[in-house]
Amino acid sequence: MRTALRRVLVLGPASLWLAVFFLAPMALVAQYSFATRDLGILRVVLPWTTQAYRSVLDPAFLPIFGRTVLYAGLTTVICLLLGFPLAWFIARHGGRWRLVLLAAVLIPFWSSFLARIYAWKALLDETGFLFTDGAVILGLSYGFLPFMVLPLYVACERMDYRQVEASYDLGHGRLSTFWHVVLPGVAPGVLAGSLLVFVPAAGDFVTPKLLGGVDQSTFGSVIDDQFRGGNNWPLGSAMAVVLLGLVVIVLIVRGKRGEDVL
Amino acid sequence: MSGSVRIARLWDDRRMNRRNMLRSMAFFAIAANGLSACAISEAPKGESGGQGGRAVNRVDEPKLNFYNWTDYIAPDTISSFQAATGVKVTYDNFSSNDEMEAKIASGAAGYDLVVPSDNFLRRFVRGGLVRELDRDLIPNLGNLERRFVEADYDPGNRYSAPWAWGTTGLAYSKAVLGDRVTGFSAYDLAEAQGRGMVLDEARDGLSIGLLALGHDPNTGDAKQIDDAAKYLLSLKKKLGQISSDVIEPLTSGQMVLAQAFSGDAFQARRANPAIAYTIPKEGGLSYVDLLCVPKDAPHALNAHRFIDHVLRPDVGAALSNAVRYGSPNAAAKPFIDKELLNDPLVYPSAEVLARLPFVKDLGREVEAKYADAWTKVKTG
Repeated sequence: MRTALRRVLVLGPASLWLAVFFLAPMALVAQYSFATRDLGILRVVLPWTTQAYRSVLDPAFLPIFGRTVLYAGLTTVICLLLGFPLAWFIARHGGRWRLVLLAAVLIPFWSSFLARIYAWKALLDETGFLFTDGAVILGLSYGFLPFMVLPLYVACERMDYRQVEASYDLGHGRLSTFWHVVLPGVAPGVLAGSLLVFVPAAGDFVTPKLLGGVDQSTFGSVIDDQFRGGNNWPLGSAMAVVLLGLVVIVLIVRGKRGEDVL
Repeated sequence: MSGSVRIARLWDDRRMNRRNMLRSMAFFAIAANGLSACAISEAPKGESGGQGGRAVNRVDEPKLNFYNWTDYIAPDTISSFQAATGVKVTYDNFSSNDEMEAKIASGAAGYDLVVPSDNFLRRFVRGGLVRELDRDLIPNLGNLERRFVEADYDPGNRYSAPWAWGTTGLAYSKAVLGDRVTGFSAYDLAEAQGRGMVLDEARDGLSIGLLALGHDPNTGDAKQIDDAAKYLLSLKKKLGQISSDVIEPLTSGQMVLAQAFSGDAFQARRANPAIAYTIPKEGGLSYVDLLCVPKDAPHALNAHRFIDHVLRPDVGAALSNAVRYGSPNAAAKPFIDKELLNDPLVYPSAEVLARLPFVKDLGREVEAKYADAWTKVKTG
């Protein structure tokens, strides 16, 4: 009895939060995706229809889908390449500066995301690089780097360094040690960081809107168009549901190994 | 496995397994639908604007809550109204139709007077958000030019009175493009490659294609709309961006050519004198911002008195002189600055005006066609 009460007290607030701000809105989006659009102020009306899904699955949307996955994938790889040496350095060689170095990674992200993307816009303005695929990937990589560094840092820090020494003692070279000892050791961090970067990068719409030109629209920015232009809420909702499906697929693909991570 | 990072999941607790999770999600879907605010209903049939009748102040106090665009009023418009009537005005600003609609649609904003553009007024009327004007309280409606009485967005001024009007044309950098911008072929100029913009609005954007191909920008013909979308898809290769925020890119020099509302173009010119505006030889569109009274306005009577005040010739002229927009007020013309009156970009000749129609309401089906064509342009 007492444990039951305690359970309610402990889990209650979080469950309520999830129900009101996560499950209910998601259920609404799923519901909207089957409604008919209205061009007045109601936006969605009856009857129920699958028209929105037929539009999303139209081959015309394929390039956007591919572009979104490409952006998010490249962003993840770039964050990994930049983030791993950084995380390793802070964890192994940071010494008493560790917290300061970690704070240095985080502090820029205390200012508004929007303001920082506008800053990139100003920086890239004269270079001719603005409004290209590269500019969008640059913005995304910049924006989501800390999500990669933090889990990697934890993984690097927790890895038992004696394993690396043992590997050297047993005759492995640097590359071989990295491949057979370090990488498996930090794999959970790599997976966690990749998921934390890939998922929001696939859904981001501010970066492609501001740094991208006419040919850089992604799933996220098209969803934004459908809602904000007031054009088509059912289509926007259906696209959001499909994007969610993509994320679920990624979560499944992470496999058993990844289950230990997230 | 030692040294792994692990974050607890909800379903680590056996009672909260995945099936339960799905079950509670279905429950909340039904619960959310039960909330009247979120429930999806049938589409309303036909026009359903608020009923007319006597305009009275539901709250009896000398106050008026006025919600208008930023930088869109004369310094003495409000003070002269306060002096004439003793009504105290609370003045708030918005910077986009969407932002204003969100407040008005929620119903509880408490505004007595708002200024949507013509396309949004139509939505407001369709959604029953605004009340019919009590014309007995606004004798100065007779001062309006005919064009604004007969206009398709609100024939006979049943729901609205015009505040100011402008045109949709091309803004460009004189420093870069000189005087070679006369029509939509300007997008082909070498200096404009990758530095041109089109408005991110379905009807405005597609009007470029329709006009360039010699069609009516208010066409309902599916084939013509389709051709316009194809035209824009090929135009897109020459553009820098599709966006309705044109002032900043133009003044900073990032963009040198943009489809723009005349008001935005003149504002950009104030910041950067090298910016010019022209009405393309193929034609363009007119738009107008309109005073209207939300259905639940607490001081509807005061709102009507304000509308009548603004339609006075002297007040209307002062407004036009300050904001540098076209005035819909025929009786105000004698008081408007000669220089403004003679500016063909603010007051185009009758011949040019004939090529600048208002955006017509083409009905649900055709409007949906435009919206779909626009999505195709943006994603293609």
